[in-house]
Amino acid sequence: MRLLRPRALLLGGFIGVYLAFVLLPLAWLALGAFKTRFESLRSPPTLIFTPTFEAFGKVVAGGFGGVFGNSVTIALANVALALVLGVPAAYALARMRPKPRKNLAFWVLSIRLAPAFGLVIPLYAFMRTVGLLDSLGAVIIAHLTINLPLAIWLMMSYFDDLPIDVEEAAIIDGANRLGVLRYVVLPVSGPMLIAVAMLVFVFSWNEFLFAFILTSSRAQTVPALIASLAGTMNFDWPLMSALSISALVPAFVVVLFAQRAITEGLTAGAIK
Amino acid sequence: MRRLGLLLRFPGAFLAPAILVLASIVLFPTGYLLYLSVRHWVITRPFQYFSGLDNYRLVLTSPSFWGAAQTTLVFIVATVAVTLVLGTALAVALNRPFAGRGVVRALVVLPLLVPPIVAGFTWRFLLNREIGMLGSWILPAVGVEASMLAHPDLAMVSIVIADVWSRTSFMFLILLAALQGIPGSLYEAARIDGASDAQEFVFITLPLLLPAMLVGVIFRAIEAVNTFDLIFVMTQGGPGTATQTLSIYGWRTAFTSFDIGRGAAIAVVMVVFAVLATTVLSRRVLER
Repeated sequence: MRLLRPRALLLGGFIGVYLAFVLLPLAWLALGAFKTRFESLRSPPTLIFTPTFEAFGKVVAGGFGGVFGNSVTIALANVALALVLGVPAAYALARMRPKPRKNLAFWVLSIRLAPAFGLVIPLYAFMRTVGLLDSLGAVIIAHLTINLPLAIWLMMSYFDDLPIDVEEAAIIDGANRLGVLRYVVLPVSGPMLIAVAMLVFVFSWNEFLFAFILTSSRAQTVPALIASLAGTMNFDWPLMSALSISALVPAFVVVLFAQRAITEGLTAGAIK
Repeated sequence: MRRLGLLLRFPGAFLAPAILVLASIVLFPTGYLLYLSVRHWVITRPFQYFSGLDNYRLVLTSPSFWGAAQTTLVFIVATVAVTLVLGTALAVALNRPFAGRGVVRALVVLPLLVPPIVAGFTWRFLLNREIGMLGSWILPAVGVEASMLAHPDLAMVSIVIADVWSRTSFMFLILLAALQGIPGSLYEAARIDGASDAQEFVFITLPLLLPAMLVGVIFRAIEAVNTFDLIFVMTQGGPGTATQTLSIYGWRTAFTSFDIGRGAAIAVVMVVFAVLATTVLSRRVLER
């Protein structure tokens, strides 16, 4: 058997080049976060330098805690609202007659597809009129316009595939709809709920346009902060790199955690 | 199959909260957008009034609007085409079993978790002519002396590369899922008939992948119309108006010139374009 077939080489080479394309920028960002400001402005740049935590120190001491707090609050509020409002709606859609269901479901999906720019102007004008600009509530509502349809759509497809016999049996035994949802459907939906919560969290955490337009200082989120620093003349590359790295961490952690939960949930289901 | 016994009662109480919330946070703003688009309202001026279709007339006769529309089209075609080709190649390559496949797949999906604003900043850092790895080491070594983001054409190339970096994983995930749904028996039959790798790809993989590709193209095209953060942090639409897409142009009109009415008209035109394009494209998906 020949080890170096041309096809394998070609494939390996392609995958290798693509991985370099994906990873090198992140490595450069991480490297930048450990430079001093002076070091970062050296041209051409250096690979070997004494790493310092100066930039991360500025992130901690620079009063950005509130900004990270805002991002967390907005994302968690979206997770809670998307699940509380979305679960019953998705369940109802999944158990409805086909025709009204199709229309409603299509409407829900089409919201997801509409250009966000069409929403940001009226939301801005409205929040301005009612004096809610630069409040957490404004951003929470804006994010929900994307997150709620997404959550409903995903959970509806999941509920669709659940076996319906158990639910029927529960109804014959005298359970009402809410009881069925709570005691029959939700206990087997853990992994899906976690996956939806994770997607909603990451969307909210990463979202920029709404957060940028609707906030200025008090309710600023992490992406909006990074953009506003990028707009200043005096570029602090290490500080921005450190902020960017810190902005990556929550999404990575959430997904890592959720991935384990999903795998565990699915395997548990398979063994039963 | 769903049984009728469970379907009889319309579970309105379950649906009502979500529908009410969606209606108030989506339908109401949509109506409000239409209302705003026929108003003359510049935030820095004290008066606002009904102005009919003036905003639309101003927008549709403005060369900067059509310039931005053209830039948007170039950006969409470039980023969708490149992510489609790369996503397909990755899906095919990573669908074959090999040691460490799980890790490679996870790494390929990584950029999907990176906020686009961070992706944009990272590429701006990389491409910087003085202090970036690409801009200061690699590009001059291959004969590109210009500063990427300061050159009109290269700035567009730069935002497309950054967007491809950020969004190829999405196309990859959709196509990988579709590939896994193709029965292996088809390939076995083809191999018995003596088909080559290329023939397998052209006559089995490609036709069966086409519906998923169309779905991917629709989602990516909508994403591309909406791309704001990445362009904003890399070029703010510049140099000049070289990378000024409709999103950036609309933002400029509504939030730096404070002309809310005209911004609303731009948004309405964008929504109409997007709806038309997705309807045409999704028809084609449904026909299959």
